Amino acid sequence: MGKNSLDIKVGEVMEKNVVVVKEDDSVRDVLDLFKKHHFHTYPVITGDRQLAGVIDQDIILEILLFHRIPRVKHTHLAAVRSLGVNAKSIMIPHPVIISPDAGLNDAADIMLKHHVNRICVVEHGKLVGIISKLDIINGVIKRKGLE
Amino acid sequence: MEIILQFLLILFLAKVFGEAIERVGLPDVLGEISAGMFLGALLLFDPNSETLSFFAELGAIFLLFTAGYKEVHLNELKSASRKALIPTISQILAAFFFGFLIGRMFDFGFLESLFMGVAFSPTGIGVTVKTLIDLDYLSTKTGSLILSSAILDDIIGIFMLSIVTTIATFNQLPSGVQFLSIAGKMVLFVIIMGLLGRYVFPFIFKYIQMMRAKESIFAFVVMTALFSAYLSEVFGMHAVIGAFIGGALLSDIPFAKIEDVQSKVSGMTYGILVPFFFAFIGLSIDIGALKIAGLFTLLVIMMAFAGKLIGGFVGSRIIGMDFHDSLIFGIGMIPRAGVELVVISVGKSAGVLSDEAFSAIVVMVVASIIVSPLLLKSAIGLREKSKATDA
Repeated sequence: MGKNSLDIKVGEVMEKNVVVVKEDDSVRDVLDLFKKHHFHTYPVITGDRQLAGVIDQDIILEILLFHRIPRVKHTHLAAVRSLGVNAKSIMIPHPVIISPDAGLNDAADIMLKHHVNRICVVEHGKLVGIISKLDIINGVIKRKGLE
Repeated sequence: MEIILQFLLILFLAKVFGEAIERVGLPDVLGEISAGMFLGALLLFDPNSETLSFFAELGAIFLLFTAGYKEVHLNELKSASRKALIPTISQILAAFFFGFLIGRMFDFGFLESLFMGVAFSPTGIGVTVKTLIDLDYLSTKTGSLILSSAILDDIIGIFMLSIVTTIATFNQLPSGVQFLSIAGKMVLFVIIMGLLGRYVFPFIFKYIQMMRAKESIFAFVVMTALFSAYLSEVFGMHAVIGAFIGGALLSDIPFAKIEDVQSKVSGMTYGILVPFFFAFIGLSIDIGALKIAGLFTLLVIMMAFAGKLIGGFVGSRIIGMDFHDSLIFGIGMIPRAGVELVVISVGKSAGVLSDEAFSAIVVMVVASIIVSPLLLKSAIGLREKSKATDA
């Protein structure tokens, strides 16, 4: 990544208008959200906007097709998740997070090294945005004046 | 035979037999055990080989580490305890008692009988879940209770294993002072691990993710397994106990649980080490001992089934479930798979469990995997019939 991009902060390029799920939302509500929008991952938040976890397309597929997935995946946790009634009971807790003040390079490093496609941006425990690979690409292109 | 070729053959046959068994609708663990038995019958392998035993022990360590790392979820444990504590304690106590009793009936020593009891106690839920899904019964109250009970069951089973393996290091029933020393060491170990999990591991992983060396997080997750296993040995417990606790402590650390890392840990564990461990169990079965101990094996199977069935039935009746649901719950607790095989392999390598007892319990595990889905289907069928008659 060029020198120009080093000083870009995550907070500058992240998506601030994030579609979120509340932890008490029903699984039906979550499924409706996946039907309505095309995002891969939705952050799950508590009543005071603290990030509680994430729900992604993989989890939804696993729940919907639980009876068809290989037996080796019929673990306690997967079975409990398949019986979940609300977002809290099906989400992945403790997702990887990043601060809005972190550099774009830090976010890109995490994504490239650990094959993570998007990271929740959190300040004082509260969700303030989400950053994806596309946001980073667009941020760098903009900074390099390639647009 | 050269060790690389031995390793290759065991792994290859474990995979081929495992796949064949999966294709006929049974869990691959049966195929992996059968692969070991087949190779054992060819007399090409020495189950006492130090190298093979070492890899098998690694398999047991990573089986429990991965169970803690991927499956333990504190909230789930709390909810399971609320729902299923009484039936779980009831079925574990009954199973333990029946295992201990059969040991005493056949004049086993106190320690060997204890191991029999502990080996009878855990439940292998993977076997039951498939049947419950097929019969659309997982989401019922009983299905959910079976699930909750199995979650608690594994934790209690591992706790029992930690006690019995530590006692086994004394090779006799410990005195009062020794017992206090065991308890003290266990408490100290848990406190140290707790502190590491709360303060040290999260701190370390925060920096590991910034390392430039390749696959650093994956390497440190594996190192956590080995470190925890080693530390538990230092404190006089078996390595598998530490591995399980180490895994559970990583389960809340975001960077240690990145999907990419989980997938690599799973690949190493379920792709290589665990099939090898199960095949090694099959390889270690003494067919000759089984032939001589036919009646004993039959009794082991019957008592292991009866312990779970009766304990589960009584426990669920206590919390107010009806006859049929209690029967289904009891049957749902019968299958054994992972933890019990670790228990007996620990017992055998510690020289506490005889070849006869070891082999009989493996046969019991195999029988439970084959029979329990059939029993469960019949019990659920009976329940539906009785519902239809009542209506």
